[in-house]
Amino acid sequence: MFGVPVSSVAQKTTSHKVVLPFYGYAAASLFAAALLILANSAAFTGHYFHPRILAITHILALGWATMIILGASHQLVPILVEGSLYSEKLAMASFILAGLGIPLLSYGFYYFEMGWPAKWGGRLVVLAILCYLINLFKSISRGKQDNVHALFVFTAGLWLFITAFFGLVLVYNFTYTLLSEDTLHYLPLHAHTGILGWFLLLVMGVASRLIPMFLISKYRNPRLLWLIYLLINTALLGFFFLYLSTVLINLIFIPALMVLAAVFLFIYYCYRAYQARLRKRVDPQVRISLFSVGLLALPWMLLLILIGLLLRNGGEQTSLALAYGFLVFFGWITAIILGMTFKTLPFIVWNKTYHHLAGIGRTPNPKDLFHDGIFRVMVLAYLAGLIFFTAGILAVQLFLLQAGAVLLLGTAAMYNWNVFKLLFHKKPVT
Amino acid sequence: MNPVTNLPEKSKLALEALHQVLDPEIGLNVVDLGLIYRLDFDEEKKELFCTMTLTTSFCPMGESITFGVLQALEACFPGYAVHVGLSFDPPWSQDLISGEGLQFLNR
Repeated sequence: MFGVPVSSVAQKTTSHKVVLPFYGYAAASLFAAALLILANSAAFTGHYFHPRILAITHILALGWATMIILGASHQLVPILVEGSLYSEKLAMASFILAGLGIPLLSYGFYYFEMGWPAKWGGRLVVLAILCYLINLFKSISRGKQDNVHALFVFTAGLWLFITAFFGLVLVYNFTYTLLSEDTLHYLPLHAHTGILGWFLLLVMGVASRLIPMFLISKYRNPRLLWLIYLLINTALLGFFFLYLSTVLINLIFIPALMVLAAVFLFIYYCYRAYQARLRKRVDPQVRISLFSVGLLALPWMLLLILIGLLLRNGGEQTSLALAYGFLVFFGWITAIILGMTFKTLPFIVWNKTYHHLAGIGRTPNPKDLFHDGIFRVMVLAYLAGLIFFTAGILAVQLFLLQAGAVLLLGTAAMYNWNVFKLLFHKKPVT
Repeated sequence: MNPVTNLPEKSKLALEALHQVLDPEIGLNVVDLGLIYRLDFDEEKKELFCTMTLTTSFCPMGESITFGVLQALEACFPGYAVHVGLSFDPPWSQDLISGEGLQFLNR
């Protein structure tokens, strides 16, 4: 028996031309966000509903995290569903729409200009996500495998759409009375749909496939993943119901506990995969990704403390709320992206540049296409920056915030150096 | 696991050549990784059929790896028409990694 000729499968992986722009955009957004954090450190001593913080949060959530996840998922979805991406044109459309929408939206927040910049920004972002969702649905429905990983990714895409659409409604709510309460009241719903529905589900769906793959681990446990899936989605729906019901608001710790349970089950899943690995030496990129899995527990535990204090004492607890949001975006999400960027991007670039030399010529190792020393210093700067900045938020200390911001800006600069070194990599002339 | 073949002597040469083709992510060659399933020689028509797999279908590095296998075999057997085919029956599993491969991963 002779397999399927390779010429017929060669075109099925997603073109690098579709994926690479997302990486470049995300890197630039991280730098912009870090720069704005440094320029506006004082804003982090007050309430989170501050124009500068809203702008920075959206640059981080959309420009940095969502853009890189969208780019990588165009490459990873074919692996998850064992089928090709439905449309590269739709992928490019989602890049262009989001690429135009995010700066407009962020500008709108930064200057609190809720007129056309924020509204057009929001509309473009919603359209971009719609393109992504259609592409995802079509790719999954024609893929060979119905699996729990694909379901995580698709459900995450749906929650992303809901988050963005609800966000647009909230922008309109500043100028027209669309909702019964003001926009600030609905902010926790908008934020948690994005954090839990989009980021948490997506990261868990993809990481539960990639971490065992990179570790060459035999561990598989789809039943555990199904349980995690149910816990997070039920928690999110429960949170919506309880938050909107004024009578049952005291039960809001139940969904938080469910999420915490899901997080610990996911940490357990990754630990078992790590234990059952054949590849004993774990490279620094996978190590930081595994570290981010551990970091997951931190914001959720903080959230439980926050809920406990809110229920007991009332009041705003602004520092805790800010620290929680910061640890979600600059802690867990950023850590996993810092690691996974250098686990995926060098291979995409290597594939683009050297695949025709495979088997006949000497080619560099994909890991040699970026500067390992800069990567390691970046990780140290990141960890120190994270600790300083979080401590600064909790202690309301401007000096700590500024020190943390400088370190995070350094992290972003080193990340950009390596990403753009990869993006502009050319085959040496021999 | 040794690949199935109809000409063991020639297959040995082919496997030597294929030891130079690495999975770029793992750094292990395709033979010890257990990706090569069959090597069938047609001496009359001067054709070589290599049936192989990938660690996962739609592997982003799949194109490079299969192209590397094709080029390595063409260089090893000049005058032969080399055909590389993909099979996922059985799908690749860690059990297909050779003893040398496991040693490499254990380092």
